[in-house]
Amino acid sequence: ANWRYAHEEYEGDVQDVFAYKFKEYIEDNSDNTVQVYRFGELGESDDIMEQTQAGILNFVNQSPGFTGALIPEAQIFFIPYLMPTDMESVVTFFRESKAINDDFPKLYAEKGLELLKMYPEGEMVITLDEAITTPEELKNKKIRVMTNPLLSETYSAFGATPTPLPWGEVYGALQTNMVQGQENPIFWIQSGGLYEVSPHLIFTGHGWFTTAMMANQNFYEGLSDADKELVRKASDFAFEEILDHIDGLADEALAKIQESSDEVTVTRLNEEQIAEFRKRAPQVEAKFVEMAGDSGQQLLNQFKQDLEDIKK
Amino acid sequence: MATILMVIMIGLLLMGFPMMIPLTTAAVVGFVMMFDGFGQMGTFIQQMMGGIRPASLIAVPMFILAADIMTRGQSADRLINMVMAFIGHIKGGLAISAATSCTLFGAVSGSTQATVVAVGSPLRPKMLKAGYSDSFTLALIINASDIAFLIPPSIGMIIYGVVSQTSIAELFIAGIGPGLMILFMFSLYCLLYAYKNNVPTEPKATWGERGRAVREALWPLFFPVIIVGGIYGGIFSPTEAAAVCVLYAFLLEFLIFRSLKLTDIYRIAKSTGLITAVVFILVAVGNGFSWILSFAQIPQAILESVGINEAGPVGVLVTICVAFFIACMFVDPIVVILVLTPIFAPAIQATGLDPVLVGVLITLQVAIGSATPPFGCDIFTAIAIFKRPYMDVIRGTPPFIAMLIVAAGLIIAFPQIALFLRDLAFPA
Amino acid sequence: MTENSPDLDDTGHYDSGLPGFLGTIDEWIAKIEAVMLAAGVILMALNTCVNVIARFVFGEGMFFSGEINRILIILVTFAGIGYAARHGRHIRMSAIYDAIPARGRKVLMIVIALFTAAMMFFLCYHSYGYIVTLYDRGRILPALGIEIWTIYVWAPIGFAVTGIQYLLTAVKNLTSKDVYLSTGLVDGYAETETEV
Ligand code: NA
Ligand code: NA
Repeated sequence: ANWRYAHEEYEGDVQDVFAYKFKEYIEDNSDNTVQVYRFGELGESDDIMEQTQAGILNFVNQSPGFTGALIPEAQIFFIPYLMPTDMESVVTFFRESKAINDDFPKLYAEKGLELLKMYPEGEMVITLDEAITTPEELKNKKIRVMTNPLLSETYSAFGATPTPLPWGEVYGALQTNMVQGQENPIFWIQSGGLYEVSPHLIFTGHGWFTTAMMANQNFYEGLSDADKELVRKASDFAFEEILDHIDGLADEALAKIQESSDEVTVTRLNEEQIAEFRKRAPQVEAKFVEMAGDSGQQLLNQFKQDLEDIKK
Repeated sequence: MATILMVIMIGLLLMGFPMMIPLTTAAVVGFVMMFDGFGQMGTFIQQMMGGIRPASLIAVPMFILAADIMTRGQSADRLINMVMAFIGHIKGGLAISAATSCTLFGAVSGSTQATVVAVGSPLRPKMLKAGYSDSFTLALIINASDIAFLIPPSIGMIIYGVVSQTSIAELFIAGIGPGLMILFMFSLYCLLYAYKNNVPTEPKATWGERGRAVREALWPLFFPVIIVGGIYGGIFSPTEAAAVCVLYAFLLEFLIFRSLKLTDIYRIAKSTGLITAVVFILVAVGNGFSWILSFAQIPQAILESVGINEAGPVGVLVTICVAFFIACMFVDPIVVILVLTPIFAPAIQATGLDPVLVGVLITLQVAIGSATPPFGCDIFTAIAIFKRPYMDVIRGTPPFIAMLIVAAGLIIAFPQIALFLRDLAFPA
Repeated sequence: MTENSPDLDDTGHYDSGLPGFLGTIDEWIAKIEAVMLAAGVILMALNTCVNVIARFVFGEGMFFSGEINRILIILVTFAGIGYAARHGRHIRMSAIYDAIPARGRKVLMIVIALFTAAMMFFLCYHSYGYIVTLYDRGRILPALGIEIWTIYVWAPIGFAVTGIQYLLTAVKNLTSKDVYLSTGLVDGYAETETEV
């Protein structure tokens, strides 16, 4: 059969690499084919999610940030300083976390979606019109965020003024100083040329951009056991490939940025400076629980438990 | 499937259906073929609503509203009077004034048709009286109004920017160079025409009269300053510029010139709303139509069959120009932009062409095509407004079309004509 | 560049082609549509202007401004399509149609009106279905917190009103001598000297 798979990124971005690795495994190991649709080809992120729920698409990749309107608990990834920062712990977390591997699939299943994989794309980096090291310096700065209320709360907590804007308007808004900054994984900052208009990079270590790949549940349930196995194995294969892919990706992207611009500065907050930002996280946790209710609280507890477990 | 959809669409278009119907019918047939029935029509509705979702679309009704207020007020006449005071007396001055007024009014209005009305209505009788032939006059007005489509603001550029996700601010700035170049070409032609036919010149205005004309036009002259200066200076986005224009037009006509009464607002807003709805329903169904094309991978198939992958950047540009030019000879420009832009998107991306340059060329082609027989829609506007028979309206157009095609060739050969100002305003 | 007639206001008054009580209802619907169109555009202008001013004066735009405009665009579009149908203002390529003799034009106009009406009712039905789906999924506008389905209700209403208008246009053409482009507009492109 020909399976259709849509994601939210451009050619060569992490989700695109994941999708094509998935496709490669399926096509090498069966007679099935996979048609990949990239950003914009079938509409916005919300559109492709609805199309998957309607069964037009078989697979979809949507970041939990966008899934917030559907599954409020998915916004947990926006709570700052919840996730570890170093690549190794992040990978271990995604492999072993009960929250990710047991709890989330149930939440997605309630919405008719079979969660196949959650995977990290990269550490979030803030770009600004000047280098800063304290929340005080963020005051009165308008920071572009995805249209997600919890993410707005994070930047309010950091002292900034969150400004929700669609992705298509970010570059222009930075250029005309309508906003003074934004956050994204470094490879997006590089591929989108955002450093040209917002040259001061701040590594705050507050979170990792995470995304999720899923299938329409009716479609998945209707597959033969062999095909289910195939799909599972293909997502595992793509997951391992993507971990390889993102390892070192950030450094490469940063090198490319520094090569093409002399204006760029890089600020990595030290432990002391991070502590000042970390102090503001509880306010966002409270907001998360307010939005996601008891089930959100349980998920948050499980997250923290999982993080304890991997530290051992 | 591509062939079936195209045949349905063109057939219904030519029969005279409202343009939303050919698009909708072709899309519905596409859905039925793709999903074996009507089961997934929800996605068509989803994509219709998605089509009118982008925030930048607000600029369309705002610019229409601003131009509508000014056309009904005195701004347009004051601009024309100022141009006349300065160049009315030179050889061919009346014709050059008409072209220049179209360009200036184009900096206020986003559409060619509004420009035809605002500039053509007062100047055509004057030109006829001065001894210009009617076919020359009509052709000049129709084609000079095309300049308004290139000079910001431009509704065509807004729609192209939304569909192709290109910066509307950059498109606006890039339209200025080509617009002025075409004005220069047209002015030269007017000069030659006036010498050849020995059209008498107009009396020269005194410096006192000129001073008064400038003072009167000063207020409306601020429009281009707001739009170009605002975007250029990074003060606001095109949508915000549009809102500021509305505010400014309102202050001007209602408070300063007192040419309109508050009760006129209702009628003006209603007329703006009507024009907006008629365009946006097309944007909506156009988005639904291009979704099914994209889902069925038709653009890739079409581009492959015309061998675009071997064409190289210039080949792709020329193909795009020809396609848009021909399509606009038959169909409304907005529909052409909505349908053809997504089809060529993969080729534009693959060749690494600057989407802003492509946008400027498309806007120009769209303007030329709509002034070209047999069915260019500007021709029919002119027939309706000036009540002239079809043959009279088209007789004078060939030299203008030729000049516009040369202009397109120049822009392809020297992209800096369009990109120079853009690069100055938005250094990469 | 797309308005059918660049005339400033040829939609001043509207006399329904329907008899008696139905005609009164029809004229009321026309009035409501006109008010929605004008109000939608004025609110859009106000909302956008206030947002610009807020950004300059207070350094901060209104975070819900974009969503309000999104609501108003939908309102204006779907109030407008019915109104445009009523006044025969939808964009069409009428060059070939106009070249046909009156009798042929009449037949063609009936076909066009009937098919367009059918298409509008088809879209009405499916947009209703889509709203039901959205209602079940409970998606909301992030800034305003309004359920998205509520802002889409104008779609099926607008399609229904437009469908009825085209149906009436077909009936009008079947029952009278002239060719009608809409219930209120006689087709007289080149022959009549209407004020523009
Ligand atoms: Na213009
Ligand atoms: Na034109």
